[in-house]
Parts: sequence; C-alpha cells; structure tokens
Amino acid sequence: MATGLSAIFMANRPALLRFLRARGAGDDAEDLLQDMWMKLEAKDLGPVSDPLPYLYRMANNLMLDRYRSSTRRERREQDWAEGAGGVMADPSDDMAVDDRMILQQRLEEARAVLRDLGPRVELIFRRFRIEGVGQKLIADELGVSLTTVEKDLQKAYRAMLTLKQKMDTE
Amino acid sequence: MNEEALTWVIRTRDPRFDDWDAFTLWLEGDPARAGTYDALMAADADMDAILPPEPVVMPVAANDAGAPRRSMLRWAGGGAIAAALVAVVSVSMMNRTDMYSVTTRPGEIRTIALDDGTRIEMNGDTSLRLDRNNPRFAALDAGEAAFTVRHDSANPFRVTVGDAIFEDAGTVFNIVHAGRDTRIGVSEGKVVYNPDAEAIALPAGRGLADDAEGLRVMDVAPASVASWRSGRLVYANAPVAQMAQDMSRSLGIVVRATPQASAMHFTGTILLDRNPDNFFSGAAPLMGLTATRQSDGAWLLKEGDGPKS
Repeated sequence: MATGLSAIFMANRPALLRFLRARGAGDDAEDLLQDMWMKLEAKDLGPVSDPLPYLYRMANNLMLDRYRSSTRRERREQDWAEGAGGVMADPSDDMAVDDRMILQQRLEEARAVLRDLGPRVELIFRRFRIEGVGQKLIADELGVSLTTVEKDLQKAYRAMLTLKQKMDTE
Repeated sequence: MNEEALTWVIRTRDPRFDDWDAFTLWLEGDPARAGTYDALMAADADMDAILPPEPVVMPVAANDAGAPRRSMLRWAGGGAIAAALVAVVSVSMMNRTDMYSVTTRPGEIRTIALDDGTRIEMNGDTSLRLDRNNPRFAALDAGEAAFTVRHDSANPFRVTVGDAIFEDAGTVFNIVHAGRDTRIGVSEGKVVYNPDAEAIALPAGRGLADDAEGLRVMDVAPASVASWRSGRLVYANAPVAQMAQDMSRSLGIVVRATPQASAMHFTGTILLDRNPDNFFSGAAPLMGLTATRQSDGAWLLKEGDGPKS
C-alpha cells in the first residue's frame, strides 16, 4: 500500500470506525475496517488524488455490498420457502423472448417518464446517472445553479424509483 | 419515499462528493437511517435495468415517433416567463420605449446594423420589432433572422419570440418563428433560453425547437446555422414541412407540401436559386419529392417520383 494512503488510513481510523458504526455495521465495524486494510495492502494502489474521500467511499461500498448480499440471501430463502426454489439463474443469461419484450416495454415506459419530466431534468438526470458526471460540472455546463441541478435530480429520481417500484409489483 | 435519504443518495453518488462528516452526522441522528439509505441505494442500482441506453445528447427529435406532447416544463415555467416579461416591460416603460417595425417581403433579405454593433440579417417574409431607445432588444414576430451580437455581459442582448426569451452570451444565432413553432440554432458563443425560467444554455453547435412535438434540445452543425445567408439551406433530418416554410421565405414563393410529404425527413444541402423552375428541378429529386406548380401559382411538394409537370 502506498505509504501516503496508509498514513491517512491510520490517522483517520477512528473517524472511519465511527462512520462504519453509523452506517449500521455494529459490532462488525472493527472487522470491516480490518478487511479494508487488507484490501488496500493487497491492491498496491498508485497515488490517489483525494485519499480520505477515497477511503470513505470504499467503506460505504463495503456496507452496500453487505446489504446487497443479505437481501439476496433473504430473497433466496424466501424463494425456497415458497417452493419456487432452486438455484437462481443469472438474469443476464439467455433471456427468453417474452422477457426481452417485457424489457423493451419497460425501457419504453422509462423513456416516457424521463421525457415527461422536461428536457432539462432529463438531460441532467442522464448526465448524472448514466454518464456519471458530477453535479458541479453539470451546473457549469448548463449555466444553472447547483441547487437547480440537485432539485432536478431529486425530481427525476423520485419519478424513476416510483416507476421501478410499480414495475416490481406488477 | 424518504426525501432526506434520497438527498443523501444523490449526494453520495456524486463522483466529487467529499462531505463524509456531514453524512456520518446525519446517519447518527437516527439508527434507522442507515437501512433507509441502503434500501434506496439498492433501488438506485436496480434502476440500471430500465435506463434507456441513449447517449446524453438528445438526437434531432424529428425522428421521434412518440405522440405529440407539450413539455410540462413549459407550462411550469409559464408564470416565471410572464413575470420576466412584466419586468422587461416595466423597465422599458421607464426608459420610454420607441418601438419600430422592420419587415421583409418574401424573397427579400435585409441587414440591420444596430447602434451597439449588433448585426441582424433578416430572411424573407420576416417581421421584427426593435426599440430605438434600447439597442439590446429585438422581438421576432414572424419569419427568420440571424443575429450576430456584440456581447456585453452587463447588458445582455435579448430576443423575444412569442412568450420565449433568448438571451445571448456572445453569439451568432439564427431564429425561425413560423406559426406557433420556434427553432433556434447557435453557431458561435452561447444563448440562454428563457433565462428566468428553464434557463437552458445553448452553446455553439446546439439548437432548440419548440413546436407541436414539444420543447427539445438537439445538435446542429454550426456551419448550417443561418446558411440561407450564403444561398444554401442545410438540413439534418429536417421535416419537409419545415423545409417548405424555409423555401417560401427565401424564394418569395408559396410552397406547400402534401401531408405525406410533410412528414418525410431530409438530410443534406440545397442550393437556393431565384428561378423556381430551376430550383425545384434540382431540389425536388434530391428530396425524393416532386414539385408541381398549382393553378394559384403556389408550388406543391408531393411524395414519390411521379411525372414532373
């Protein structure tokens, strides 16, 4: 591990621990921090431009992974209990024709939802969510305030998440 | 949906996010927040499955087969636009406006030089209102005009088109206003559409259309903007209905298109010719259309390669 990153990790260990606890890691926080340390050592990262945000981001991603695997396990257990059972197929594997049609239809719906939000909201959401451009940069590009970008993103997120929820319950 | 958690999802998703202390404090405010945040982040990731894969730059929307629609944004912005107009009017009243109209006949081109160094080139069949006491203002009531604006950020040049406002930021741009439709193309600098409402910035190479299909932003070739000034009409996937309007303005003749022909699209460059017979004998086959002269003197564009009159 780059000595810079290592020093920053050590110096901010208490803050990272506090963050992991706040993120819901509970008693596992210490272990997770240890995992992070091991990963950093194994990776031998080059110089990182913003080391502290990088470490927080890593901790946050660890927690997200944990959440994802726990919900996946729950879903699997539930499937077993309901008798649907068996190994869950990878969704990206050979898709049946009907599934493809459903997917196309859903993309159409999503497209319509985005379009109805108006061109600026759609543009900002696509820049941010699909292309991964930061909000400050988007604001500069469009010549609008950061608050405007934030509000537009919330609007788009609400609409898209609501749509996704609706689709999942169909 | 938990609004606070959503705010944090959007913030922490930003590649430049660095306020992890504030995020920690928010999480510590209530132990349930971490779970809410996790669930929303997972929902965000699941959204990938339904995200349309189009590139961000919206394509020329003329080929958008969707049902005609008016953008909600437009109506949402209506109040702000009205307010902005009131502001403009009241300021002008104080300065005592001295409005005058300039119009061109079909086929006539006219250049106007304003006191501030701005140049307005008017295409045929166009009417414009200007203010002798405010050289930074123009109202395009109908037709087409190209604006080469001397930029002054303290006192931006504004063009009103119907209830829309275009504000320059150092610019060459072209506006077409026909019926209820408005199209703008920017070839240099930047124009801001409705700066007090939608505030959509249009840099060089971008255009905006507001017509029966709604309000859209698109790419335009900077060289094609106001190409009529050099005797050419340049199009990228333009509906024939729009081209018929352009021809009418530039040639000083009436050009109509059948509904089928109106819905067709064309990409390419057409050379203008003052002689309609010469013009259509070259242009119509290029567009995959036929042009016939009607008894009333108008020209009709029809689909297909039928016999020419």
